[in-house]
Amino acid sequence: MSILAPEDDGPLLRVAGLSAYYGELRALTNIGFEIERGEILSIIGANGAGKTTLLKSLVGLMSRGRLSRIEGRIEFEGRAIENLSTEDIVNAGMALVPEGRRLFSRLSVQENLMAGAYLPRCRGTLKERLDEIFALFPVLAERRRQIVSQMSGGEQQMVAIGRALMSSPTLILFDELSLGLAPSVVDDIYRKVRQIHELGATAIVIEQDMKRALRVASHVFVMLEGHVVLEARPEDVTEEQVSAAYFGTEIEGFG
Amino acid sequence: MSEDLYWSLIDIANGLLSGTMLGGYYAIISLGLALVFGVMRLVNLAHGDWLIVAAYIAAVIVQFLGFPPFASLIVVVPAMFAIGYALQRYVLNRVSVQAMEEKGMSSGFGLMSPILVTFGMSIVLAHALLGIFASDATVIKNALSYSAIRLTQDLSISTLRLIFFGIAGAILVCVHLFLHRTHAGRAIRAASDDPEVASLMGMRTERIYALASAISLAVAGVAGVAVGMSRTFQPFDGPQFLLIAFGVVIVGGLGSIAGSLVGGVLLGITQVLAGTYFGPSAQLVAGYMLILFVLAVRPQGLFSR
Repeated sequence: MSILAPEDDGPLLRVAGLSAYYGELRALTNIGFEIERGEILSIIGANGAGKTTLLKSLVGLMSRGRLSRIEGRIEFEGRAIENLSTEDIVNAGMALVPEGRRLFSRLSVQENLMAGAYLPRCRGTLKERLDEIFALFPVLAERRRQIVSQMSGGEQQMVAIGRALMSSPTLILFDELSLGLAPSVVDDIYRKVRQIHELGATAIVIEQDMKRALRVASHVFVMLEGHVVLEARPEDVTEEQVSAAYFGTEIEGFG
Repeated sequence: MSEDLYWSLIDIANGLLSGTMLGGYYAIISLGLALVFGVMRLVNLAHGDWLIVAAYIAAVIVQFLGFPPFASLIVVVPAMFAIGYALQRYVLNRVSVQAMEEKGMSSGFGLMSPILVTFGMSIVLAHALLGIFASDATVIKNALSYSAIRLTQDLSISTLRLIFFGIAGAILVCVHLFLHRTHAGRAIRAASDDPEVASLMGMRTERIYALASAISLAVAGVAGVAVGMSRTFQPFDGPQFLLIAFGVVIVGGLGSIAGSLVGGVLLGITQVLAGTYFGPSAQLVAGYMLILFVLAVRPQGLFSR
């Protein structure tokens, strides 16, 4: 028996009946899934399948402004968050590493990381957190004063990951981690993702590279035209099945 | 040294000195305009009118409440800060580029609407001041108006200008430190870079914009007191300070605090030297020629990256 309060033993994230719209265009249709603590969910799908829209829906970016909106229910640690602002969702413990990194280009490495610890709950432990990030990415420690727009794509991706980690998130969303990076750099990034996972983080990873997505994940989704068309554990599916789902084709002699 | 050479050197030295002093307050006039544009892509056409409003507030509390002139800053700066915050939060945020995009309007529309709103505000402010104070020239009475510090027998600096140059320098340093060393300052810089990602860091951009605007008008408030103490002013003087601010931004470049100081000083020196050699009417022309020259040679401004 533990003297600690029991951890909430429901799933970390529960999504039910989630649809997302850009104006009249429906980009997600009735998505439902759960993630347990410590899982890595890989989402695979072609461009326009709705992967990024799903992540944006989770962090509330689809609900900003009148151009896009969501319907359905999103529960994070047992609490309904579908009506919360992005700022409140981030404060609740979610973080997004956006597609294309989107660093604050005129800020230095260290300033970008510190911007990630803007929330009042993060400021007290900023120094310790910064040291942890520099321990995880030693190359960033050497370049802490450098303006990020002068760095390589791989280094920028590390800053983007570090910036998200600065808020001590319980769930990290990685959007297109390997986009535009050299394969050797991507290997390095994924090694870090695994390291972060071992530290106890739960993650959703969007990845174009099917092999990589299957290797890193404890669960895999394949999305097609706003639907989840395949949901499985990596060890239970073959690459052919995944790629058939990816392209929305049937394979001879299957199913 | 011949007598002629000596006096022409003294003329130049005096011009450089008082031009530099003038540049200090040109720098703080432009700082607020540049900050707001840099962060929100918002051109506040009422910036100069707010400066005049601050000058009138100071004049009133000095004349009727008996405040010492410099102590008026204690009231003017917080008042302008509050006005700037409320103005952005409850008026300008609703017509900003971001707000217009969220409503589905084109970003061109988003650039135009704050221009129209602040242009209208400029007219309203000037006429409100005219209604309250009439069109007589006003000045904030103070003992330092005619005081000067003698450096040599023929070289002197206006005490008031020197004090405000010091204050301007201190403000530039403080704003720079604020933007680089504090959470709120970094948030302002981050939000100016990418507001959507800023919100992913938990930054509430609408409050960050309001803070930037508050700082902008608080600094304009200091400039207003400086103007009011060193010369006479009238309700319709606002646009002339807006033009100075634009000039400094063009010369120094946007988004650089050092640029606003250098731009301000260059503009100040150009105007004073032109005034010395070609008479007072040449001051404005010389300023515009400098602006044209910089636009032709280095359109992004001297300090812009």
